[in-house]
Amino acid sequence: MVEFKDVSVTYSSGVDALNKVNLKINDGDFAFVVGPSGAGKSTLIKLVLKEIDATSGDVIVNGFSLRKLRRRKIPALRRTIGVVFQDFRLIPTMTVYENVAFVLRVIDAPAKYIRSRVPYVISLVGLSHKAKSYPTELSGGEQQRVALARALVNDPQLIIADEPTGNIDPALSYEIVELLKGINECGTTILMVTHEHDLVRYFGGRIININHGSIAFDDVIGGSNED
Amino acid sequence: MKINSFRYLVSQGLKSIWTNRMMSFASFCIMLVSLLMVGVSVLMSINLNRIIGGIEDQSEVVVQITDDISDEAIQELQEQIEMIPNVNTVEFYSKEEAWENMMEDMTEEEQELFQYADDNPLPDTFRLTVTDIQRMSETTTQIETFDNVESTRSPTAFADVLISIRRILAIISAAIVLALIIVCLIIISNTTRTSVFARRKEINIMKYVGATNSFIRIPFFVEGMIVGILAAAGALLLTKFAYEGVYNIFNDDFRLWNILGVQNLYSFDDLFWPITIAYAVAGALIGAVGTSISAGKHLKV
Repeated sequence: MVEFKDVSVTYSSGVDALNKVNLKINDGDFAFVVGPSGAGKSTLIKLVLKEIDATSGDVIVNGFSLRKLRRRKIPALRRTIGVVFQDFRLIPTMTVYENVAFVLRVIDAPAKYIRSRVPYVISLVGLSHKAKSYPTELSGGEQQRVALARALVNDPQLIIADEPTGNIDPALSYEIVELLKGINECGTTILMVTHEHDLVRYFGGRIININHGSIAFDDVIGGSNED
Repeated sequence: MKINSFRYLVSQGLKSIWTNRMMSFASFCIMLVSLLMVGVSVLMSINLNRIIGGIEDQSEVVVQITDDISDEAIQELQEQIEMIPNVNTVEFYSKEEAWENMMEDMTEEEQELFQYADDNPLPDTFRLTVTDIQRMSETTTQIETFDNVESTRSPTAFADVLISIRRILAIISAAIVLALIIVCLIIISNTTRTSVFARRKEINIMKYVGATNSFIRIPFFVEGMIVGILAAAGALLLTKFAYEGVYNIFNDDFRLWNILGVQNLYSFDDLFWPITIAYAVAGALIGAVGTSISAGKHLKV
């Protein structure tokens, strides 16, 4: 669960990125966060990952109150979140398998579990045949699927997808969102930031529109794929 | 942390030496040159110290004994002198020996002049060396208070010169070594910083998936340590060749040094373990600490 309570963020440059935002995303929700560039979408994500601190208010993520959270507890918070970035952010010196397994190594998972879990998750995103490849040997869509497998592998409560379709072929974008929808059906909360309105219209669901640091719209709409 | 994870992190460190081989090689070279520079200057300094120490050891104090005293009294005086803590060696040099030596050093004409001397004017003497040259005059003063001592002669002026040379050399060599260490640390830290900077994205990703700082640091630590130890091994090998070359020159062609009373340089075997340990510890420590400190700068995400 993600909850924003009267959250404001003012950067040192004086820019008000968020202004008294109140927002609640329940466990198992799938929400699209939309809005123009500079509206505050990235700030929202940074807050959830505790990359930055709120100037005022509190953010609750998977039971962690981020205002009180000590720095050394940040890894524990991040282990409950899977993140998919627009630029994939895979480790170039590691194979697909190693990139995914790395997350489990970080949480000290038993070797036996890693050996069974990683191939399974890689198969879920349809890349079993590329497990030994390096990120540079993959297409954009494939890299994003690896990133998705990585976000998924430790069974996080929440997956944040920050413009996951921004760097890939539009046709593959639907595939990525389909994968996210599938993960969501298994109970994982998904927060997907995008500015691809076609995708949002197609899939529908909860839409949170941020503009000028405030929530301009937060409601559920039907998707055209349901027609 | 489980042993399994630790093993994984160590293997990652080893692997990344090869993966980032260009940067590893750059760090290796910089560390090798740095260790070599510091090592060679330390070796030069300790050898200079030994040479001067050797000259100091040759500085003798001559104690003239009063004429016509019994062998027992001479024996007693020698025991008294030997009791002084600063006295290293004591050698009795009889007036007859002194006379013979003096004659040997003379030309035939000079010898003829002394041939008819009816009495040996030279005194019995003790020749002694001291442990601490700085306390030479104190020691001679003490000897002068003993019975049956006619007079003493000691090269105190020479000793003073040696003391000041040694002091100046100690200061200069310490300053050079210190300056080299500082310069090397700056260069090494810049190299490791560049090496780590190239991998800041990697560190960033690790942070996002919930890696703790120590989890990220350990492979860097291992990597830096191994590169440091390899550099130390390289430096040791080069030092050995260079040092033995210089040592052989001194040993074979400059016997004159020995005639002048200058002691030989330390052999490489004498210094093998101290050099090896110093290089290994310095290499491993600088490599490991330098790299993990540089990595730490990218951990605040």
